[in-house]
Amino acid sequence: MPQASKIRAVVVDDQLTMRTLVRSCLQQIGLTDIREFPKAPEALSALKAQPAHIVFSDFNMPEMDGLEFLRSIRSDPSLKGIGFILLTGRADADLVKRAAQFGANNYLVKPFTVAVMKQKLEQIFGALS
Amino acid sequence: MDPMEAIKQTYFQECDELLLAMEEGLIAMESGEADSETINAVFRAVHSIKGGGGAFGFEILVGFSHVFETAMDLVRSGKLDPTPDVVKVLLRAGDKLSDHVTAARNGGSDAVDDAEVKAELAKLTGEDPEDAGAPAPADFEGLAFAPVMIDIGDEEPAAPPCPIWHVRFAPHAGLYAKANEPYLLIRELGMLGPIEVTADLSKLPDLSALEPDQAYFAWNVALKDCPDRTKVEEVFEFVSGDCDLEITEEKVEAAAPAAFAISAPGLPSLDDDDEPAAAPVAEAQPEEKKAAAPAAAQAAPTTVDLIKQTIRVDLDKVDRLVNLVGELVITQAMLSQRILDSVQQGQTVSAGLGELEHLLRELQEAVMAIRTQPVKSVFQRMPRLVRETAAQTGKEVRLEIEGETTEVDKTVIERLGEPLTHMIRNAVDHGLETPAERVAAGKPAEGTVKLSAEHRGGRIIIEVADDGRGINRSKVREKAIERGLISPNANLSDEEIDNLIFLPGFSTAATVSNISGRGVGLDVVRRNIMDLGGRITIGSANGKGSKFSLTLPLTLAVLDGMIVAVGEQTFVLPLSHIIESLLPKSADVKAFGSNGMLLNVRGVYVPLVSVGRLLRVPGAKYDLANSVVILVESEGVGRMALAVDAIVGQRQVVIKSFESNIGHIDGIAAATILGDGRVALILDIDGLVAGCREGTGGRPTEYQQALGA
Repeated sequence: MPQASKIRAVVVDDQLTMRTLVRSCLQQIGLTDIREFPKAPEALSALKAQPAHIVFSDFNMPEMDGLEFLRSIRSDPSLKGIGFILLTGRADADLVKRAAQFGANNYLVKPFTVAVMKQKLEQIFGALS
Repeated sequence: MDPMEAIKQTYFQECDELLLAMEEGLIAMESGEADSETINAVFRAVHSIKGGGGAFGFEILVGFSHVFETAMDLVRSGKLDPTPDVVKVLLRAGDKLSDHVTAARNGGSDAVDDAEVKAELAKLTGEDPEDAGAPAPADFEGLAFAPVMIDIGDEEPAAPPCPIWHVRFAPHAGLYAKANEPYLLIRELGMLGPIEVTADLSKLPDLSALEPDQAYFAWNVALKDCPDRTKVEEVFEFVSGDCDLEITEEKVEAAAPAAFAISAPGLPSLDDDDEPAAAPVAEAQPEEKKAAAPAAAQAAPTTVDLIKQTIRVDLDKVDRLVNLVGELVITQAMLSQRILDSVQQGQTVSAGLGELEHLLRELQEAVMAIRTQPVKSVFQRMPRLVRETAAQTGKEVRLEIEGETTEVDKTVIERLGEPLTHMIRNAVDHGLETPAERVAAGKPAEGTVKLSAEHRGGRIIIEVADDGRGINRSKVREKAIERGLISPNANLSDEEIDNLIFLPGFSTAATVSNISGRGVGLDVVRRNIMDLGGRITIGSANGKGSKFSLTLPLTLAVLDGMIVAVGEQTFVLPLSHIIESLLPKSADVKAFGSNGMLLNVRGVYVPLVSVGRLLRVPGAKYDLANSVVILVESEGVGRMALAVDAIVGQRQVVIKSFESNIGHIDGIAAATILGDGRVALILDIDGLVAGCREGTGGRPTEYQQALGA
């Protein structure tokens, strides 16, 4: 069973509150290695320097939106294996569909609970310990 | 604090920033200068406030921001044209959103009446505001997500494995005799890497056979993560003759690659049985106090934080820093005083000290700059105030803002809000005419209020100007006479009449409106400004408008002052109030009234006051002809000549407030510590002059009674 504490996560959201909330939920699930970035380009270069297993990214952000970010990850051979969960403000079917086409692994509608987040993580990693 | 509570605080802090960004964007839209990114930023701000609000269950806030967000979404996607009317609704929605955030922050107790604005927003979006709550998060079961294949690979090549060093250390009695301490040696080993220590007590005899000055203990230490044998040997370098030491090396198999490669679907590397490197580091035996080795080598792998953003610093920390630097400046002053006293020809020393002083000054400025903020945070609240006041009074007002990036100390900013609010309200309510009156006077129906800030001469000047009717001097004069503030035959200049409106109990509004007339008069505004070490003046032209000017110090932490000696005391006069200093001739001093005096300064008579006499300083000279006179100017009350014994010098002093301990004393602003370690009082020129003026007018004042003057 994979250990939650070994999963490396990157959280990208222009809003500090959201980043803190995602971090807090992830910590409750048992993750310890969590990096936060307010903007996608920063996250992208940080990922190139040090990869992660999973990325949580907001959609609407200045400079580079979540889908553009996802596309950059998937088009980079060294990063394309990273898990990607899109954080969306509303249950926007079109957006989620497009995200799925671009290769997102899952989505999470804000506001979310720890239970839902864990469920989404486990859909990617299998049951976590 | 509950973690959720802490995040909530972050949320509200962030809301303040988002609301500011939103308002800024909306104002840009209002003036037609908004590009698509600005509009998107407004959308994002509303969206973010909604998103965070949802996480904390602020349903009313979320409901309102949803309607607002929908409208912004239409504008953003070009489906709704941001005409002036539309932007007006959006601006009002922004104000309401800000109210909702405040209500949520206060625990949701204050209900916000948003029905009207919500209805107007709904008119724009065509959405029914009643069922506009956030839609329940639907689940898109039908959507298939790509099967997960995560494989990051071996990104962290393991360092070449270190052997484990087994150290057996058995001190002889001689080691103890030379005052060596095994604990320190073992601790030093612990600096090289994680250690596991076991004490070997097998040689310890029965108590009856125990010789107190013999050595019986030995220790076995296993050391990890230290590649170098010589490092281990160096630890025991100085005791090698006084102990038995054995160092053996245990080879370690190259560890499996750091547990990191995830490959779907089994993700073996995340499994718990694959964990050689992370085995718990040795714990010491319970009776072995010596194993309290610092676990420095166990430091968790640090992730480099790449976020290069502005940081939020706890103000307390900055205050501490500012305080420390202040102390440092005092120490430097004390040091230089002592060195100058003891070393007569200390030229090289004084050059070094000069440099120290220069550096310290720079450091102090840099540290204080941490506390400065643009006045924008206060100015930004004004557009809304103008909108609301204009709506309440039925006036048309345009607010122009200039110099909002001007920086000033945070404490000054915090205390600027209230007086500024009052002045802006005053300008709209009393300064500007109604549109009809304006048109009749040949002016555009829309009045202008201009708010500006700039740095001038080490101070910040903030001006609130309107193009309204100006001060009606005959009315002001009438009122002042009616209230008994001036005598009916007083001969006052225009400027003096204008300044009457700052007197306590003065209100010119014919009808007390619910806007400006909130029990706070301009006298309170003036008091607030003076408490900040600032001044307020008014200029006015009949029919053309009036202008309030605030002059404030950039910081409340230091002051450029002139040090003067009076008898046994030393005082500091704020340099900003000093016009000149002079040595009077006795012919220039004229007696005035029973114990008043005037000084002839190039043909103009100025009240002359002896600081020593006024404050009853022991040992002060009363011989005015031999005194130094410092001409000071006070806010509103005019010039005055202060006689002191001598001028000591001019320097920057660190202000130490004593109000929290002693309370407010008229005539004394604060204290400081001088280079020789003595406390000197900083004189409050305005208070002094006002006290003296009232004194010469023959009215006994509290101030005179307190000082016994």
